[in-house]
Parts: sequence; structure tokens; C-alpha cells
Amino acid sequence: MSRSRKIRDMATGLGLCFPFLALYTVFTIWPVIQGLYVSLHKWSLMGKVKFVGLDNYIKFLSDQKFIDALKHTIIFVALSVPFLVIMALILALFANRPVKIRRGLRIAFYLPSIISVSVASFIAKYMFAPYMGFVNGILHLTGLLKSGSEIQWLIDTNHAWAVVTIMTVWWTVGFSMLLYLSALQDISPEIYEAAEIDGAAKWQQLFSIVLPLLKPTTYLIVMLQIIASFKVFGQIQLITAGGPAGSTKPLIQYIYETGFTKNNMGYAAAMSYVLFAILVVCTLIQRAIQKKGEQKDEA
Amino acid sequence: MKRKKAKAGSLILTVLSAGLAIIFLAPVIWAFFVSLQYEGKQIQSVVSWFSPPYTFGNYLDLIIGSDVAKWLLNSVVVAVLVTVLTLLFSAMAAYALSKIKFMGRNKLFFYFLLGLMVPGEATIVPLFITANNIHLIDTYAGLLLPSVAVSMNLIIMVTFFKGIPDSLIEAARIDGAGEITIFARIVMPLSKAVLSTISIFAFIGSWNNYLWPLLCSMDSSKFTLPVGIPIFAGTYTVDYVKPMTANMIASIPAIIIYLIFEKQIVQGITMSGVKG
Repeated sequence: MSRSRKIRDMATGLGLCFPFLALYTVFTIWPVIQGLYVSLHKWSLMGKVKFVGLDNYIKFLSDQKFIDALKHTIIFVALSVPFLVIMALILALFANRPVKIRRGLRIAFYLPSIISVSVASFIAKYMFAPYMGFVNGILHLTGLLKSGSEIQWLIDTNHAWAVVTIMTVWWTVGFSMLLYLSALQDISPEIYEAAEIDGAAKWQQLFSIVLPLLKPTTYLIVMLQIIASFKVFGQIQLITAGGPAGSTKPLIQYIYETGFTKNNMGYAAAMSYVLFAILVVCTLIQRAIQKKGEQKDEA
Repeated sequence: MKRKKAKAGSLILTVLSAGLAIIFLAPVIWAFFVSLQYEGKQIQSVVSWFSPPYTFGNYLDLIIGSDVAKWLLNSVVVAVLVTVLTLLFSAMAAYALSKIKFMGRNKLFFYFLLGLMVPGEATIVPLFITANNIHLIDTYAGLLLPSVAVSMNLIIMVTFFKGIPDSLIEAARIDGAGEITIFARIVMPLSKAVLSTISIFAFIGSWNNYLWPLLCSMDSSKFTLPVGIPIFAGTYTVDYVKPMTANMIASIPAIIIYLIFEKQIVQGITMSGVKG
């Protein structure tokens, strides 16, 4: 290759990469580095105030509000992930049956996922509102709730978690359902036929054949959901505002309030790295699982 | 006998699945019917929400007489620009990384891979400081630029472009075509499937983005729908009709796009989920 061609290729290559490279560097990579610098300072919206070393990192270890927020986030992960995974599997099994409404089922189960978090949260909030809300209304209509009495969904912590979990399952289960569905469609029909000849009933096939074959998909979905649930913010902020009395406030909301309401960005940046570390570890585990699955596919 | 039992069982499962589908759609259907009601209607029971008379007047009121139309426009502008820039910049970089041999190419690709490990939610504070330093807060550029360069999109495109035979591109080069021509006339048209998948995701992602616009837009004239709607709805404490209409205005475009491109969206998710 001639020298001039080499130089020209280099210029074209870098030139074509430049817009992506510039935006990626400024908005994805630079904030990670900048955040470390910010976290070592007392920092307000106006800018740097003073260097405080590792104070911000020592501070959150004994900050009860931070520990509570981390605890709430973990509660949400523990509540939402099992429901999301099981529900995704059930919906996928339904949407995979050879019936006429099959495509309709898939469309219905995924539709909530394309609604924005603020709309989905508001609909959920109104659904669970006392007096005029849909859920209490249905409970009255079916006689499950005595007329004249109302369930105050957002005043009690347990009820508030229930509302947030139900809303999250409704709003986000579609994605995992599609992953399960594509895994189900990869199972060859011959496997079912062989089982049928052996006289295995449908439910036996489910537990002895289908579920074991879905194992890699299940691992993947569990990890993806754990990652997604650790990032919870919008729906809790919009439905419960972290209440009642801060009892559902997750990590991102506490970071957000510390940084932008209380104007303590250095501390908020330091706390962000806890979330960062949790998410990176989860992502690494997820990628390892995925790689293993792909190698198996190729073998 | 056994067959009859199996048939009955199958029917029960079908009915059950249809019931679940209705439960999944119910909140949206309810929101839609609420938006059709006249304001101030007496709600005796949940049935009242669904009963006529209906009106589209609320939609007209909000589009003409409130900020909702402005936010709708902001959302559309931001989402369209994010989509166009995402496609253009990712495809340009992916073309260079997969079809042009230049020094440092592999190092650059590795650098782009790092982005997969960075959770945007955990860098929101320094991102705000960065955007503030370069005067992007409360501007359209600030709303859209951070969403454009996404590692995942780039990697999907690089993988796809690598599948386009080099001989095709070499032949064009020998014919004297420049890199830009090859990119625009050969590579892009061959990649319609992957480009459409990525554009659908970029559009819906931007349309629904909440955390960043919440921080980046201070003035209500720069709000996108997801930021504006909770504030708008918060001003109505008793009445459901206007807030639900705003919710529907924010959702109907996304729902229509979804119904049209449902197949591509499903394929795209399956692809990104499996290939990761």
C-alpha cells in the first residue's frame, strides 16, 4: 500500500469516526473522570468550593439516609425481579401457543413498555387512587371492597411497594417476555414430538424439557432485571415521591436530591460511584453468562 | 375422552391468556376513555368513566390552550434529531471501523466498547456539570447531544457492516468511487434492516427519556412531554380528565409507531438481547 493511500485512509477513517468520538468522549467517558474529581470536593451548582479529599466517601458510610436509600433499592430489586421473571415466562408461554390471538397477545403484553415513565406512572397513580380510581372502583363493583370503604394505597409503606412493583411489572415485563418468546421459538418441534410419543403430558413437558432448555435465557433475564431494578428512579419519584415519609426512596432519588435540591454535588457524585460499582459488577456477570450461552450455541 | 379433556384445557388457557391481555391493556384503555369525558362529570362508579357522552374537546383545548403542544413539538424535534444524528454518526464511525484499515482502529474500537460498562444513571451529576460548563443546559443541543453516541448502536452496526463483502467495496474503489460515495450509495442502502431497528429504538428511547431532560430543561419552554406532563398534571388535583388527555397526547404517537413497526421492534429486541 502506498504511503499516500495510508495517510488518506487514516484521515478518512478518523474523520468519519470524529463526530461519534467527540460526543462519546464528552458525554459518556469524560463524566466518569470528571465525577471522580468532583467527588473529592465540596461542589455546588456554582462550581468547586473546596478540596475535601475522601470526606465524601467516608460520609456516606455513616449516613443513615444513604443506607436507607440503598436498602430501599435492594428491597425493590428483591420484590420486582422474581415477579418480573416469572411473569415474563408465563406471558411468553401464553404468547407462544398456536392460537389465533397469538400476535394480539404479543402486542398487548409489550404495549405498556413503549409508554413513557411519566405517563405510565401517572396512569398507575390514578388507577390506585381512592374514590375515583380504577382499582378501588373494580373492587367495589365486584363486591371485594365494601361500598363506602376505600383502600389508601399510597399511605402505607407495604401498599406503596405493591403499587410500585405492580406498575413496574406491567410497564417493563414485555422486554423479558420477548426474550423468552424468542428462546421458546428456538426449541425444535421434534423435541416436543419425541416427548409426546413417550407419553409425556403438556405440563410434564414444561417442567422436564422447556424450563431446563430456557435456563440460559433465565440467567440472562435475571441479570438484566437486577441491573434495571437497581436503576429505579422515575416511577418511584412520580408515584410515591419516595414516600410515605421517605420509606420507598431509592438510591438515584437520594443522589438526585442531594445533588440538585440540596446543592451538594460532590457528595452526590461520590454516592453515584456506589451505584456505578454495583452496576458494573452486575453487567460483567451478565456478559460472562451471555458469552457462555453463545459458546454453547456455537458448539 | 382424553382428547376432549385436552381441548377443554386448551380453551381455558386461551381464555386466561386473553384475560391477561385485557388486564395489560386496561390502564391504557381506561386512560383513553377518561380523556374522552366532559370535565366535571359525576363519577358514581367505575362504569361512569366508560359511559358516553364523549368529546374530543379536551384534546383541542390542550393542543390550542396549553403548553402541552409546545412540549409535544419539543419531544418530536428532539426525538427526530436524536434519531437522525444517531444513525448518521454511528453509521459513519461503524463504516470506518469495519471497512477502512487505518492505524489505531482496533484501539479506537476498544475505547468505544468501554461505553457498555458506563451506566448513564450513575454519571448524571458530572454530566450535568459538564453540560453546564459548555452552556448546554436549557438548550435543544443539551437535550439531545448526550443521547446520540451510544456504544451499543455502534457495535450492532459494526457487526452488521462486517457482513457486507469487502469485494463489493473494493470493486467500487477500483471503479474510482470515493469513501463517501461507497458509504452513501452501497453500505447504507444494504443496511436498511439494521438502520430501521436502531432508528426505532433511538426514537422511542428519546421520546421516553425522563431523567436527563428533567435536569437539562429549566424553563418550561424547553420541556419535553415526559418532563412537562407530571408538572401539568400536578396542577389538577381533583379532575382526571385534562391530565389523562395530556397523557394520551404523549402516548398516542408512540403507540401508533409501535403498532406500525411492531415486527421490527420485536426483531430488534430479540437481536439486541441475544447478541448483547
